[in-house]
Amino acid sequence: MGKSSSSKDAQALFHSLRSAYAATPVNLKIIDLYVGFAVFTALIQVVYMAIVGSFPFNSFLSGVLSCVGTAVLAVCLRIQVNKENKEFKDIAPERAFADFVLCNLVLHLVIMNFLG
Amino acid sequence: MGKLWVIFVALISILLPFLCNSFSPETPTDRRVLVLLDDFAIKSSHSLYFNSLKSRGFELDFKLADDPNIALQRYGQYLYDALILFCPSVERFGGSVDLAGILSFVDSGHDLIIAADANASDLIREVATECGVDFDEDPSAMVIDHTSYAVSETEGDHTLIAGDGFIKSDVILGSKKINAPVLFKGIGHSLNPANNLVLKVLSASPAAYSANPKSKLSTPPSLTGSAISLVSVVQARNNARILITGSISMFSNRFFRSGVQKAGSPTKHEKSGNEQFSTEISKWVFHERGHLKAVNVKHHKVGETEEPALYRINDDLEYSVEIYEWSGTSWEPYVADDVQVQFYMMSPYVLKTLSNNKKGLYSTSFKVPDVYGVFQFKVEYQKLGYTSLSLSKQIPVRPYRHNEYERFIPAAYPYYGAAFSMMAGFFIFSFVHLYSK
Repeated sequence: MGKSSSSKDAQALFHSLRSAYAATPVNLKIIDLYVGFAVFTALIQVVYMAIVGSFPFNSFLSGVLSCVGTAVLAVCLRIQVNKENKEFKDIAPERAFADFVLCNLVLHLVIMNFLG
Repeated sequence: MGKLWVIFVALISILLPFLCNSFSPETPTDRRVLVLLDDFAIKSSHSLYFNSLKSRGFELDFKLADDPNIALQRYGQYLYDALILFCPSVERFGGSVDLAGILSFVDSGHDLIIAADANASDLIREVATECGVDFDEDPSAMVIDHTSYAVSETEGDHTLIAGDGFIKSDVILGSKKINAPVLFKGIGHSLNPANNLVLKVLSASPAAYSANPKSKLSTPPSLTGSAISLVSVVQARNNARILITGSISMFSNRFFRSGVQKAGSPTKHEKSGNEQFSTEISKWVFHERGHLKAVNVKHHKVGETEEPALYRINDDLEYSVEIYEWSGTSWEPYVADDVQVQFYMMSPYVLKTLSNNKKGLYSTSFKVPDVYGVFQFKVEYQKLGYTSLSLSKQIPVRPYRHNEYERFIPAAYPYYGAAFSMMAGFFIFSFVHLYSK
């Protein structure tokens, strides 16, 4: 009785989340996809390191941190370009994107230095 | 007048090297020996021993121990290379010789033979104490052994001991085995346990004890059994060698010539072992044997011959050193399989046994550890009876230079791929983000 009701609750919760997410604008969905890609790549590298060993540790760190950094910057962009977020309503989406590009350039410069 | 002066200086400068043919690292054997005696009768009663020394090329200078003119050094130069104290009863040395003088003589690398006797004076005991052995404090005590005494016509008091508890060392006692026991009549001594430089060469049998042979034993003797040493040697850290014995008569012609039969043993030896023992051990004390030198310490990278100023971590290197032993007349190759080199920084990172080519060249090769810092090549060789070798050579070890690290490691390709795919992802995402409105 309890079990079936809780699984029904979970189904209802999942359903409502999906329907709520369907209302998200397309540009935010693209950012989510991009974040998912970065996190997935990071996970692959962690699994690979667990199998192969941590020998070129600097390469591992830079590979994973480039993914994590990319994901974090993308999330920051998503927060700033979200129309429903009132906190950053003063910042224009163009300005947010320019910040994002600049931060990414710095991140990848550092990663390139640390990779070899 | 001035011309004469110039000639004199030139003469001195030419002759000086010949005047100073004393102890040197190149010829470690002693040459000039001062023998201090209680009275000149010892010179004739111990003539066999002295003649064997003379025949081996030593210049013996016999002096009475209380001669007011004896001196060990003049103008800061030692006049002798070795000192033999055959003066057990001397209370005060004559001249400028004293306890401190003898100790600094030894401290400067010279050799010493001390023979005491039943009536050894406090001075001789003090010299022995400073060398790390303690003679029995009872002035009337002698070493008595009721099981391994030397058989004689009269029953006696068993103070004439037939000792055969030799140290097992070919370098100290020679490679030829001493078959006959050594006759010993005198006082025993014990080794200072805190002194690890002093060695028992001839030890008393387990049944021996040190007591006054003329009186009855009322209290247990202070020195008993194998703790009693009859003859001991010391090799100081500066390789000075000292021989200490409690019996001056063991060097006498009478003991050299006398036959010996150990109590309880059926074999009667025609000749005691004293002559062989005394001769062999004097060869050791006077550096005719067991004196090592190490020369030509070399190290270089494998495949090169030049000695580098520093190594890099994980370099392969070769180390070699030549070790020779002084045979009394020339330097002979030293052959042993237990010489080790350490690659040392606070503690040995590498410890390798050197292999030798039977001609004195010891070499090995090893990999520099994966640690950088200032290292030393160290050879610390201390073997019973041989002079100690202590070599160290400093060498820095540097880490890889920034361009010496491995590039494009296959195992890291996924990481490279991830980093570049993130860049590509950023590029594509930027376009999609800008044009998707």
